[in-house]
Amino acid sequence: MISRRGLLSLAGASALLAACGSNTGRGGNGAALQQWYHAYGEPGVQQAVERYAKAFTKTPVDVQWNPGDYDSKLATSLLSDGGPDVFESTPQISSVRAGQLVPLDDLFGDARTDFSASILETHTVEGKIYGIPQAVDMQMLFYRKSMLDRAGVQPPSTVDELLDAARRLSTGGVKGLFAGNDGGGGVLGGPALWSAGLDYVRDRQVGFDDPLAAKAIGKLRDLYTSGSLLLGAVKDWAEPDAFTQGLVAMQWTGLWAVPAVRKALGDDFGVLPFPSLGAGGRASVPVGAFGAMVNAKSKRIDEAKEFVRWLWVERTDYQEDFNLSYGFHIPPRKSISDKASKLTSGAAADAVKFVRDNAKASNPPDWTSVMRTAFNDAVSRVVRDGAPADAELRSAAGVVRDELKRLYG
Amino acid sequence: MSHARAFWLFVGPFAAGLLVFVYVPIGWSVLLSFFDARNTVTPVEFVGLRNYADMLTDGPFLRSLGTFSVFAAFIVPLTFVLALVLALLVSQISFMQAFFRSVFFLPTACSYVVASLVWKLSVFNGLRSGLANTVLSWFGADPVAWTVSTSPPWYWLVLVTLRLWLQLGFYMILFIAGLQRIPPVLYEAAALDGARSWQAFRFVTLPQLRTTSVAVLLLLLIGAYQAFDEFYNVLGTDRGYPPFARPPLIYLYYTALGSGGQDFGHGSAGAVILTVLIVGVTLLQGRVVRR
Amino acid sequence: MKALRYLALSIAAVLFLVPFYLVVRNGLVSEAEISAASWTFLPSSVRWENFAELFSDPAVPLVRSMVNSLVVAVLQTLGQLLLCSLAGYGLARIPYRYSGVMFYFVVATLMIPAAVTFVPTFVVVSTLGWVSDLRGLVIPGLFSGFTAFLFRQYFLNFPRELEEAARIDGLGHWGTFWRVVVPNSRGFFAALGVIAFVTSWNQFLWPLVIAQDQESWTVQVALSTFLTAQSINVHELFLAAAVSITPLVIVFVAMQRWLVRGVAETGIKE
Repeated sequence: MISRRGLLSLAGASALLAACGSNTGRGGNGAALQQWYHAYGEPGVQQAVERYAKAFTKTPVDVQWNPGDYDSKLATSLLSDGGPDVFESTPQISSVRAGQLVPLDDLFGDARTDFSASILETHTVEGKIYGIPQAVDMQMLFYRKSMLDRAGVQPPSTVDELLDAARRLSTGGVKGLFAGNDGGGGVLGGPALWSAGLDYVRDRQVGFDDPLAAKAIGKLRDLYTSGSLLLGAVKDWAEPDAFTQGLVAMQWTGLWAVPAVRKALGDDFGVLPFPSLGAGGRASVPVGAFGAMVNAKSKRIDEAKEFVRWLWVERTDYQEDFNLSYGFHIPPRKSISDKASKLTSGAAADAVKFVRDNAKASNPPDWTSVMRTAFNDAVSRVVRDGAPADAELRSAAGVVRDELKRLYG
Repeated sequence: MSHARAFWLFVGPFAAGLLVFVYVPIGWSVLLSFFDARNTVTPVEFVGLRNYADMLTDGPFLRSLGTFSVFAAFIVPLTFVLALVLALLVSQISFMQAFFRSVFFLPTACSYVVASLVWKLSVFNGLRSGLANTVLSWFGADPVAWTVSTSPPWYWLVLVTLRLWLQLGFYMILFIAGLQRIPPVLYEAAALDGARSWQAFRFVTLPQLRTTSVAVLLLLLIGAYQAFDEFYNVLGTDRGYPPFARPPLIYLYYTALGSGGQDFGHGSAGAVILTVLIVGVTLLQGRVVRR
Repeated sequence: MKALRYLALSIAAVLFLVPFYLVVRNGLVSEAEISAASWTFLPSSVRWENFAELFSDPAVPLVRSMVNSLVVAVLQTLGQLLLCSLAGYGLARIPYRYSGVMFYFVVATLMIPAAVTFVPTFVVVSTLGWVSDLRGLVIPGLFSGFTAFLFRQYFLNFPRELEEAARIDGLGHWGTFWRVVVPNSRGFFAALGVIAFVTSWNQFLWPLVIAQDQESWTVQVALSTFLTAQSINVHELFLAAAVSITPLVIVFVAMQRWLVRGVAETGIKE
């Protein structure tokens, strides 16, 4: 790798290059495995994963932290020979079909039954496991107890109650709800489907080709036009800043934000799943887990596999640290989550209960990026531009159907 | 040394580079455009013209061409007129001429990334304290979420003013060069005929600037067609790009390389269609100039 | 009338300069002041310590990315001048059976803007294994048909007497080019070189596609990453932007003559 990256055969330029060092060589350590993470928002995570990598003695590992559009970046580099050896993501059936990922079944050993079965499921494509789950993330609705009390509003248990609550909680400088600067179209599309008892994909068929879908997405449009949403916040929905600064009474964000919220608000907050639309529907929380995966184009697959086995199967202490010491995540292994005292009380305990009772996979392997883009675009046009929901969803369903046909014939 | 050997010594390296980095990619792209190629840059399954059919039926790609048309409809005439006005103003003064010319040209030193930073986070941020919102507040208006709001689509104001700032000076220089090539004797003759200044402009300046004007229009059109940088940086987020205001290159980027599916069949078909369109426009312009 | 002209120009000049001021202002204030409730033209205090903060922040690879940008821009400028001037001279001055064919081979590429073909070019460059690699950043940008074409037009008008004198002294095409033609064309080289440098420093789409590794980011990619992710302090981002445009502002002030000539002669930038 040193010779390919470090040396250049550009005539006339070599002197200049020598003066500047091997410019795009990777930190001078050609023997190191490359490991990629997306940028976690909570302080300390980057230092933690670098500490883990350093503790691996068999092979040097360089960690690359990737702020920005991680999905796009990862997708592009997996096409080339220069991609990372190890990275975090969720497997998609299209990447598996294209042979971009290495199956990791043989790394689990006895620990296999210790991993949550439903989480392993989301890393399994056609019978093989492609990612070792690192941390379970879930999203839910945070609400400020004191603000609800003052307005005489009950925690909402249906979508209509949520809309009503958001409206009544918007007073003075405070808005009722923050669900992202795009008005909720990006994160609430899935929960809205689930609230009506529908889904992205069900048994290899489009899961939302149903008049109820238009009704559910229409509710998001109602929310957007009601004037009770906060828009244009400095930090987006994944950070709890708008909620903790008192700009809103409710915010859609994730379990990871619980430590920050508790620090700012003490016990003055509660959490809820996204409520049900009504009869036949159900309350839901999106659940997903990034897993450590190995690039099939890596020139050192065996070392890469050994590293992820060591880090995420053997070193349970690191898994515990990673899940609980910074933002909150649910450890995917029962032996760790059972003794995680931080998850046994308050909002975190509620979240664990939601995951047990209301979990929906936020990123199932057969929900490919093409389908997701089509669906999210449709939802966004309905929510922000007031496009007719039935027509938009029908055309998105067409895209999903074509894609499913391509995948499964 | 024979002429043949000398010729290849001079032209050979360059021609080889053109072959590898221009002709081969385009050829490869044409090939890929007839195939299904997802998550890979090698052809997988022959699909004939299906990728082209997909791109040219109602959908995101056609919408992206629509986006380009809207953008071009604003940015091309605005830049043309304002750059010409600046050029005329600057070339008609003597005191501090170099100063003004430099000031208007200086934004060319900025990248679109830097300009996007200023426009997105300073001038047009959605906070009450954003510069544009501060100006609005002087007139008692409420703050506007400039880059978020889709109705009305304020983001066009952000994108158009950004590009104006960045490129006006460049086109002003082109017009100044064009103005300097007009023989003064034409103005003297016009003055003798008793022409007023606007008549001189109408009957001397404009016709004499014809070549420059056509070149400027073509450059502006191609520039708008290739818009990517400011759209990506003003509207893009770490979770992708919103479903509006996607010019063609943004759409291709997300189709082929971004999170939109690594679809090189459709991405290549789109690149080929764009190339054909732009070659068409260029040839048409060649006709217009020659006539 | 004259006063009106100066008034209009002055207003325009202020509008053109305000964004520059904003970059510097926001780079030198505290984070709180950027998102303060009300905006003031002059900051309440200037924090020079922001420089130390920016350069010591390990999350922001500013120095590394500036060096990358500089290396890429210098190599692209020199490489483009070398390759394109040789090609332009060959096409203009060396009589050869296939020179007409080769001329069309070159000008045909003028109609295709490089940006439009970034997807196909990525396909080829990734096959070569040049992703996140200096070669991938620099080399595809060297072969500008337009620059070669401009050189050809220029050399067509180069005084033949000078070349013939060299020929009499026994110089071949190669010797004539280096000893007579290049030294007498410095202005033209400088004009095109400045344009190439500015274009290369500011280019974004291609480095975005090709520089995946943080180690290979150019300064534009680094700024854009933090701008779209909004993951660092805003004042640091502005200060980094201010630092990133400094080299070009210097080029503009020092080489404006060549730059203006370059723009006027080429009429094209990207």
